[in-house]
Amino acid sequence: MTTETYPTTSLSLAEQEQIARRAKFQYNLRRASIYALAIAIAIWILLPIWLVAVMAFSTPADVRGFPKQIVPVPLSTDTMEFFLNQDGILRAARNSVVVAITTLVLSTIIAVPAGYAIARYVFPGRDAIRLGILSVRAFPIVVLAVPLAVTFIELDMYDKVYSLALMHTALTLPTTILVVASVFAGVPYELEEAARIFGCTPTQAFIRVVMPLALPGIAAAAILTFVLSWNEVFAAILLTISNRTLPAQILYTLDKSGDPFKFAGAFFMLLPAMIFIFFIRRYLFSMWGINK
Amino acid sequence: MRKLHWTPYLLLLPSMIYLTLFFAYPMVASLQLAFRKDVQYLKLREEPESDAAETGTLAMQTAVAVLDRMRLEETLPNGRTRPIYWFRVQAEDTEGTTVEGWVNQENIFIESRTQSDTARIVTGEAAKEWTFDFVKRMVNDFRFGKALRTTILLIVLIIPLQFILAIVMGLVLQSGIRFTNFFLYIYAIPLGVSDLASGILWYSIFTQRGFLNSWLVELGLRERPFIFIQSGHENWMILAIVLAEVWRATSIVMVIVVAGLQGIPKDYIEAGQVFGANLWQRIRFIILPRLMPSLQVALILRTILAFQVFAVVVAITGGDVMTVLANETYRWYDPARFNNSNVAAAYAGFIMLLSLGISFFYLRTVRAQEERESQQ
Amino acid sequence: MAQIVVQNAVKRFGKFTAIDDVSLTINDQEFMVLLGPSGCGKTTLLRAIAGLGMLDTGKVVIGSKDVTYLNPKDRNISMVFQNYAIFPHMTVFDNIAFGLKMRKSPKSVIYERVNEAAKLLHIENLLDRYPGQMSGGQRQRVAVARAIAYDTQVLLMDEPLSNLDALLRLEMRAELKALLTKLNVTTIYVTHDQIEALSMGDRIAVMRQGKILQCDTPTRVYDLPADHFVGSFIGNPPMNFLMGRVERDSNRIQVRIGEFQLNPPDEMQDILRVYDGKDIFVGIRAENMEPLAQPTPDSLQVRVDVVEPLGAHNLLTIHIGSDVLKVSTHPDFPAKMGGDLWIRFPIQKIRWMDADSGKALTPNLEKVMA
Repeated sequence: MTTETYPTTSLSLAEQEQIARRAKFQYNLRRASIYALAIAIAIWILLPIWLVAVMAFSTPADVRGFPKQIVPVPLSTDTMEFFLNQDGILRAARNSVVVAITTLVLSTIIAVPAGYAIARYVFPGRDAIRLGILSVRAFPIVVLAVPLAVTFIELDMYDKVYSLALMHTALTLPTTILVVASVFAGVPYELEEAARIFGCTPTQAFIRVVMPLALPGIAAAAILTFVLSWNEVFAAILLTISNRTLPAQILYTLDKSGDPFKFAGAFFMLLPAMIFIFFIRRYLFSMWGINK
Repeated sequence: MRKLHWTPYLLLLPSMIYLTLFFAYPMVASLQLAFRKDVQYLKLREEPESDAAETGTLAMQTAVAVLDRMRLEETLPNGRTRPIYWFRVQAEDTEGTTVEGWVNQENIFIESRTQSDTARIVTGEAAKEWTFDFVKRMVNDFRFGKALRTTILLIVLIIPLQFILAIVMGLVLQSGIRFTNFFLYIYAIPLGVSDLASGILWYSIFTQRGFLNSWLVELGLRERPFIFIQSGHENWMILAIVLAEVWRATSIVMVIVVAGLQGIPKDYIEAGQVFGANLWQRIRFIILPRLMPSLQVALILRTILAFQVFAVVVAITGGDVMTVLANETYRWYDPARFNNSNVAAAYAGFIMLLSLGISFFYLRTVRAQEERESQQ
Repeated sequence: MAQIVVQNAVKRFGKFTAIDDVSLTINDQEFMVLLGPSGCGKTTLLRAIAGLGMLDTGKVVIGSKDVTYLNPKDRNISMVFQNYAIFPHMTVFDNIAFGLKMRKSPKSVIYERVNEAAKLLHIENLLDRYPGQMSGGQRQRVAVARAIAYDTQVLLMDEPLSNLDALLRLEMRAELKALLTKLNVTTIYVTHDQIEALSMGDRIAVMRQGKILQCDTPTRVYDLPADHFVGSFIGNPPMNFLMGRVERDSNRIQVRIGEFQLNPPDEMQDILRVYDGKDIFVGIRAENMEPLAQPTPDSLQVRVDVVEPLGAHNLLTIHIGSDVLKVSTHPDFPAKMGGDLWIRFPIQKIRWMDADSGKALTPNLEKVMA
């Protein structure tokens, strides 16, 4: 095999040191630029949130003012109070919470057995069912909302909080099943087998061994369900008229509302989501059905 | 392999029932709404009796020639009688054949029961029929083209930006810097932000008295605020929507990308380093090919969601000066506006069709590579 | 010429010190094995030489170039990874050609080198295939072919055989050794398998807890372990260690094991004199003890606890006091479990070690140490 010749002329010590210094500088520069990039992206994410938070806690006069301030001085809760005192906002917020919690409960109850079946059993049709669930997850809400609204009108279920919860359950169910399945898959099957060797029935093994280990993950799935429902606006605005949820109410009154209302509303919608994402951040990666 | 049993099916049953109820049924209902319409047809009778044999069917408003008439008596509940006329009429039906038969006076509009020799069909029996009327109405609406163009333009602009940004985020998070968990949380925040809130966030920046104008004026780059969001400034509005969507929806792509990156053995990247690949070559020849399955999932998910872009557009532009397909769906449905769920359903079906087409296309493209890798 | 010099290398992971002030020189075209138990820092050291992990302090020089802060690609190195790191989305040809393509070698050169490397590893018929469904052994060959096709003066191997099954490992070991002697490259080979180290290396650097304990030829590492650890890590069975008491008898230093007296050779006398009245380790390899069926005046009577016939030889487990020893005998040697036998200790084969530090006590200690 031919060997390429590399320059082997020995360099002086000073020259070697210079090369090493330059290489070290470049190495540090690379590290620094990665940090700079990481921070730049963080700013890109945080800046709009900060700006709207500033608006939400400035006086309504400052919110309408120009040019806008980027720190909330004077700090004021007037804008938030103004928003919360608007007609129908508290009611809409309550509706949102009711819908989201109903969705969470329904979705979790239905999804846990399904997720367990997919994670633990090998049975004919498993892959087809998995694929089916994966594909309905990406199903357009828009396509479902219109016919469901018409059907709900026929069944006298239109404009009801629980109808919207049923709809949201349908929207979140595929995602919840997949997350729950990945949570169960993360509990080693050996543990369940060990429990059964030492005298548990399958049900006992599930309750005593699997559930305690899976609970944090299932809680994360439930929180995600809550956030999805809390944020959903298209189905909400189609399926309700007098029982609007918060996003539907805000969207519906958007063109008639001033900036203080909009900014306070945006911040109000943002807040729970930010907190909830913090709690489920560990589970983000198992959420999309990519990791088995 | 566990024993074959009915347990898993039982566990899956509630979900399957629920999903069928809320996915399969609405799909069928949607098709019905979009492609079926209520119609009335009048059946012609052989004899002047309502249960006589049919001789043909006529659509509403058909002009008919009156060939003959017959006066019958009808007894009312109070014992009195009144005259009822039956007419023998002739006309062309919808297929163009000439049909002839008896019709009751209730079903036609006639100037004079005794004199006129022409009439018009006005009532008949209710029926459903396949129709393209709603689809035509959707396509012929002047906002349809605009909505479709804007939606596609947004997809074309948003998706590549999202994927580039998401991959950059993923690489930064996988580069082994400190505080990775902190950065990950920050990058994931938009996951929990609704499209409506994201729209308002960016509205606060782009509106006339918003932050961007504040900074432009304060820096002396402009004397007075520039109105980004108004008819005629489509490019600015598109920019605002693109930024809002990239800001909001990149997180989910990022999550998928990071999950995918974690699945690439570190060895591969180190082998790339040892064998002389620079950063770009490592991304191009090692990371991206390995990431393909994840990217495919993300791409399908994002494209389908992008066809439904709605609240961001409404929050930033108000939904009138700029529109998208989902917004049109809502406008047609909205009881306070067009109140026509049939056309709304046609829009929904159209979005569905586009989503399916795109997914199919993506799957086909990526499948080829996978097959080559798994070959013997 | 590609001599590799590592100077005062230190690498910490948090509080854990993976490499603790290591200095090592690998001569041009030498086959150096880094041997040690898992967690000893051998892989970290290899990766530092490869540039896959920066040293905290210290220096790495390859050829005449200080590469401490250079990227792997600028170090003129090639590598075989433990898990092969064969790219599953490329054909075998593209895998082997990868480095050459990155270097932008002309097409004809790539073609020639890939084929040459493939021929050396007997994988010419696999060039068009994807690695997906290839066996571990085939992947291993691809990984080696890729490393040698890249044609550098330094070849780094990180436990390349550890993922193969025992039989394949045996076969590959001989093949690799034959191949590498042809190639004129400087090789650093990381392994935890002492047999691999002994059979392949020109020199072996035995590592433990981030330090190099001994760096020497295989024979000397085996025969003259620098300390208690090296003796007990290398060799199967490991070196036997007995506790001995140093005593002065007239002017002669004796080492007493129970009732039995060992008479250290002249050159050891001065060294052992320091230990008068103290305990030291007496080390001897299983095959260096002479088992006798009949008593002689200079032999020690012992009881046989276990007899393990291993084919080529028998391995006896005996005990002297509380120390358990392994003795290797000819298969025909008559030994029964529970029976007696007599053992003679060839005094030149005994290694003496400090009982506290474990360090070998020899007249020319400097030569044994790295």
